[in-house]
Amino acid sequence: MTEHVTIIMIEDDEGHARLIEKNIRRAGVLNEILPFTDGTSAVNFLFGPDGTAAQNAGRALLVLLDLNLPDMTGVDILKRIKENEHLRLSPVVVLTTTDDKVEIQRCYDLGANVYVTKPVNYENFANAIRQLGLFFSVIQVPKAK
Amino acid sequence: MTSLPFLEPLRRSRGFSQLAVLALGFVVLIAISAASIWLVNRAKEDAAQVSHTLRVENMLSLIQIMVRRAESAQRGYLLTGDASYLEFFEDTLAQVPPTLLQARATTADNPERQKALAALEPNVSQKLAELRQTVEMYKSGDVAGALKIVRTDRGEALMREITAQVDAMKDQEERLLAQRTTSSNQTSLWLLLVNLVGVVTIIGLAGLSMHLVQRNTAALRDAHKQVANANQSLERRVLERTADLQEANNEIQSFAYIVSHDLRSPLVNIMGFTSELEALRTDLFDRLAALRAKANDTDVARDEELGRDFEEAFGFIKASITKMDRLIKAILDLSRQGRAEFHPMPVEVAPLVENIGATMAHQLQERDATLKVGRLPPIVSDRMALEQIFTNLIDNAVKYLRADVPGRIEISASETPGYITYLVSDNGRGIDPRDKVRVFELFRRSGPQDRPGEGIGLAHVRTLVRRMGGAIIMDSELGRGTTFKVTLPRRMVQNAEEGKHD
Repeated sequence: MTEHVTIIMIEDDEGHARLIEKNIRRAGVLNEILPFTDGTSAVNFLFGPDGTAAQNAGRALLVLLDLNLPDMTGVDILKRIKENEHLRLSPVVVLTTTDDKVEIQRCYDLGANVYVTKPVNYENFANAIRQLGLFFSVIQVPKAK
Repeated sequence: MTSLPFLEPLRRSRGFSQLAVLALGFVVLIAISAASIWLVNRAKEDAAQVSHTLRVENMLSLIQIMVRRAESAQRGYLLTGDASYLEFFEDTLAQVPPTLLQARATTADNPERQKALAALEPNVSQKLAELRQTVEMYKSGDVAGALKIVRTDRGEALMREITAQVDAMKDQEERLLAQRTTSSNQTSLWLLLVNLVGVVTIIGLAGLSMHLVQRNTAALRDAHKQVANANQSLERRVLERTADLQEANNEIQSFAYIVSHDLRSPLVNIMGFTSELEALRTDLFDRLAALRAKANDTDVARDEELGRDFEEAFGFIKASITKMDRLIKAILDLSRQGRAEFHPMPVEVAPLVENIGATMAHQLQERDATLKVGRLPPIVSDRMALEQIFTNLIDNAVKYLRADVPGRIEISASETPGYITYLVSDNGRGIDPRDKVRVFELFRRSGPQDRPGEGIGLAHVRTLVRRMGGAIIMDSELGRGTTFKVTLPRRMVQNAEEGKHD
C-alpha cells in the first residue's frame, strides 16, 4: 500500500529539498518524490489545468509543504488542498522555518496534519525528517472516494 | 514648544489702557468730591452772610421803630397825660441802648458800618434826650414849655436825620445783600455745573472702560480661539507623528521578523551540508586509509593531522552557526514581542511573583538564595507581559548572585496615583555604572562573561515595559547589588492602533 504513495515536495530552497530527500531516503522510505520549487507548478500539478484536481482523484498523495514560497504562500496551497473534494484527505506535512505559534495554529486550523519546524541543528533536522519517513511508512493514505 | 508671541503685547496694552481709564475715573471722582465739598462750604458761608445782612437790616429797622415808638409815646403822653403812655415811653427808651450795642457788635467786622453807627448814635441820644426833656417838663407841670420844645421842629429834624442815616445804612446793606445773594447763586450754579460735568465725565469714563472691557474680552476670545486652534493642530500633528512612528515601528518589527526569518533558511542549508560534509569526510578518510593500505603507505600521522584540521574547521563553523541561530532567534523573539497584542486585565502581582519564585525554587536553592516578596499592589495590565518581565528580572538576579554570600532577592513596590513602581533588588555582584544603559541593549552584557546568556533578557524587558507605557531604570553598585525599577501605569490603556497586525 505504502509503495504507491507519491510524495509531493513543495520546497523552493533546493538545498533544503536535497537535505529532506536525503534524510527521507536514509529512513528507508523509497516512495516516489516529486519536487516542486515554486507554488505555481505545484498547484498546476495538484489541481490540473481545470483546477478541479480531478486527474488526481484516487491517487495516494502526501504533500510536504514549505510555507515561504517565492510566488505564493504555502498557506494558500494548504487551504486549497483541504477545500478540494479529491485532495482534502491527503495528508499535508507543513515543513518550514517558521516557529511562530500563531502561524502553526493557523495551519492546524486549516487542516494541516503535521507541522514540523526546520531546526538549524542538523541532528534535530535529520531526526525530524527520519521520523517523518517512519510516519510515512506506516501512514494509511486513503486511495479514493 | 513655540509660544504664541502675539498674545503677550496685546494683553499688556489692553491692561494698561484699562488701568489708565480706571485711574482717571478715580481722579475725576476725587476732584468732583473736593470741588463739591468746597462749593458746599462756600454756599454755607454765603448763606450765613446773607442772613447776617438781613439781621443787620432788621436791627437798623428796629432802632428806627424804637425811636418812632418813643416819639409816639411822648406825643400821646403830652396830649392825654395818661400814665400808661409814660410807662410805654420808659420801656421803649430802656430798649434803645442795648439794641444799639447789639448793632455795633453785629457789624464789628464792617468799619464803614461802625462809623455810620457812631454817627447815628449821638443823633439818637439827642433825640431821646429831647423827648425825655419834654416828658420831664410835662411831669413837672410845665405843659406850655414842653409843647414849645415840641413845636421847635428840632426833634423833627433830628428824626429826619436819623431816618436818613438808617436808610443810607439799609441801602448799603441792601446792596450787600444783593451782592451776597448773587455770589450765593453763583456758588450754587458752580456746584450744579461741577456735579453735572462730573456725572458726564464719569458716564464717559464708564462707557470707555466698558468699551475697553468689551474689546479686551473680544481679544481674549480671539486668543482663546487661536490657542484652541493651535492645540488642535498640535494634537493633529502629534497624532500624525504617532501614526508615522507606529508605522515606522511596525516596519522595523516586520523587517526584523522577515530578516531573521529569511536568514534562518540559508542557515539550515549551511548547517545541513556542513554535517553532510562531515559524513563525507569520514567516508573520504576511510577511503584514503583503504587506498593507503593498498599502496603500502604508512604515513598515518599525516592523515591524523589532516583530520584534526578538518575537525577544527568544522568546530568553528558549527559553533558560529549555532551562535548565529541563537542571535536570529533572539531578534525573532524580540520582534514577535513587539507585535504581540496586550490584553489588560486586573492582575494580583504578589501571587504572580510568588509563582515565578516557586518555578525557580531549584535555582534559588542551588545558589543558596531567598526570594522575599513584599506588598505588591495589584495592577491592570497584561498578565503574560508581567510574567515575562518578572521572570527575566528574577532570573537575572539569581544568575548574577555572588558565590560568597547568601543570595537575597527582594520584590517591593511604591506607588503614585497614576503609576506603580515595582522594585527587584538583589545583593548580587552589581553592574558597573558605565553599563547602566548598555545592559538594556540587545546582545550586550556586563561584567565577567561567565554565565550563559546572549544579552537578550533585559532588552526584552525594556521593549515590553516601553510598549506597556512604562519605563525601566537601574540602580547598582559593583559588588553590592542591583535594583531594577519598573514603573508601569496603574491602568494600561490599550492602544487602538497597536496589535492590529497579527
